[in-house]
Amino acid sequence: MFSRAAVITGCGAVSPLGVGVRALWEGLLAGRTAIAPITGFPADDLAPRTAAEVRHVARTDPDRAGAFALAAATEALADAALDPRALDAGRVGVALGTTLGGMQLFERWMAGGEVLPAGIGAIPYYGPAVRLARALGCLGPVATAQLACASGTHAIALAADWVRAGRADVVLAGGTDLLCRFVVSGFNCLRATAEVARPFDAARRGLVLGEGAAIVLVEEAGHAARRGARLCARVLGVGAAGDATHMTAPDREGGGAARALRAALAEAARPPDAVGFVSAHGTGTPYNDAMEAVALTRVFGRRAVPVDSIKGAIGHTLGAAGAFEAILCARVLAEGRIPPTAGLETPDPACDGLDLVVGTARAQAVEVAVSSSSGFAGTNAALVLGRA
Amino acid sequence: MRGAVAITGAGAVTSRDVALAVLPEAVRARATRAERVTQLVLLAAGRALAAAGLEATDDAPRARLGVVLGTAFGCFLTNAAYQRRLLEGGPAAASPRLFAATVSNAAGGELAIAYRLGGPSVTLTAGGASGIVALGHAADLVRSGRADALVAGGADALDDDLRRWLAAGGLDPGRAPAEGAAVLVLERAELARARGRAVLGTVEGVAAGFEPDAAGARAGEGLAAAVATALGEAGVAPSEIRVLVSAAPPALADLESRALGGVEPRTVVHPKDALGETFGAAGALGVLAALAEAPPGAALLVLDVCASGHVAALVARAGDAA
Repeated sequence: MFSRAAVITGCGAVSPLGVGVRALWEGLLAGRTAIAPITGFPADDLAPRTAAEVRHVARTDPDRAGAFALAAATEALADAALDPRALDAGRVGVALGTTLGGMQLFERWMAGGEVLPAGIGAIPYYGPAVRLARALGCLGPVATAQLACASGTHAIALAADWVRAGRADVVLAGGTDLLCRFVVSGFNCLRATAEVARPFDAARRGLVLGEGAAIVLVEEAGHAARRGARLCARVLGVGAAGDATHMTAPDREGGGAARALRAALAEAARPPDAVGFVSAHGTGTPYNDAMEAVALTRVFGRRAVPVDSIKGAIGHTLGAAGAFEAILCARVLAEGRIPPTAGLETPDPACDGLDLVVGTARAQAVEVAVSSSSGFAGTNAALVLGRA
Repeated sequence: MRGAVAITGAGAVTSRDVALAVLPEAVRARATRAERVTQLVLLAAGRALAAAGLEATDDAPRARLGVVLGTAFGCFLTNAAYQRRLLEGGPAAASPRLFAATVSNAAGGELAIAYRLGGPSVTLTAGGASGIVALGHAADLVRSGRADALVAGGADALDDDLRRWLAAGGLDPGRAPAEGAAVLVLERAELARARGRAVLGTVEGVAAGFEPDAAGARAGEGLAAAVATALGEAGVAPSEIRVLVSAAPPALADLESRALGGVEPRTVVHPKDALGETFGAAGALGVLAALAEAPPGAALLVLDVCASGHVAALVARAGDAA
């Protein structure tokens, strides 16, 4: 389909487990959770009022999602040993996913505050991508994926398409989102939230929100080879599909999620039994996890592949979630260790078809890893990564 | 990545004078409850799907058909409505109905449900260049075999909140803002031929770029790179372009002309002079404006240029050139 290939040559993360990929990875391996009572903004009237906040980044930047993205992008570039200013700027792009973008500024403006302290572009969803593109002096493609909670996954897919189609050599790709009253009150009023996140657990009651940014450097394979870059992972296939059933409830048959997974595997030219790890969407809501167990069992078979969810550890980071999962998959491929799902103690019998990683990390060599994401409006996206 | 992408249907709505009554009954009920931008999308997409002969509302989800929309502001109107209630009444007054629609892909999701589109369901934003960026992503999905046909284009709606934010300096589009939706049906050319559908045109190359500083020494280079990439993908020389759709507001006219070295069109169309800045709808409207001016086989170059820095270029041919 494409004559070129896409690889990941750098990773960066600002997560509730700390600043940097290392803090994220070590926290996940240890099964730690960053979920705690909200302290970053008034939350006394919110119920539940827990979340996974980024506590290591000062709240002085009025564009918090953009600040997360910039810090993660800086780490990804350093990890890739790449100075974008040494490249042809027309061949450098940015593909971000977000659900909230400049929501912090929007809240302030709605309450009668000034429009924008930083000029154009912070309130609309394209704000963080514009901020990154300006910081890089980028002249290549810049776009923001708006697939609700599958945005981060699809942003990486978009970046992979650009480099495989020959429109860019390197693309900073991933997702960023922030916690604020708008989003916490919203998920609370949908009755989708709980005090703690227990993905796939029999006692799960709902999701807990998180925030942060995860950015990977997606690079054209030939470009990476010519500069002798170290590879984090290969992008083997991407897929997207709509449920076309309901705006907020997942398809109980897992139709769209299964179609997205199969499309990504088809593009990767890998059979389901080649996959050694699945990073599930695993929000911890009763419906999502049951639907996802159906979809994953339909695609991979019963208990055929180790599955975990990061949402017990860093909460549901919305538009950043899929990008965090891409970094998790890259680490699993590189290190042969699969972190446990924080918050999961007693797997739900309804999720019996899944080989869930419970309690402690599992040592296992993995050649192909998959991330699956789903979002409001019935959107689903999947990413298949291969070992470098 | 080869394979032609045919345009087999189109639909556009540039005001809400068009009544929802024209929609099929099954879609009308959804449209009536939906927010404004979704209504615009359902109206435009209904026409495009009917024109392409793909207007089904009661099938199982069709896995090879999907939707790719571009929007500058997405659910801004719903966000404002939700936030106002939250500010006035606290979390107890938060509306689950409104919150569920505070995602910019709500319009695409409603469209997928209404017309049974079970393939890729994607919404992108790239400011005022969102429409062409969406058309380009859709062309990639069709060309690479990941979908047979996609409703592709974009939409934006306006209300007092968004007008107030634009006027207060949120984004200066350089023209009167306007609301609208415009979509094309992009389809694998061999499939269109097998179905015996008329081909309005073919999408040959699409690329996006960025202008980090419209007043800087490198202004125009991002658009020039996008134009060069789109022409290269299309295998079209700059001198072959017969019709150009200009998109830059007056303040960015120099930037646009600097990016067009070697392009000497016989016809230059300025649809935004008549329509205003329609943001997400502008890309597909530009393609339709160019097709209206172009003889069969003629090469077209359609631009999107936004003060946000996002720019994009699309190269197409009129008629069935495949």
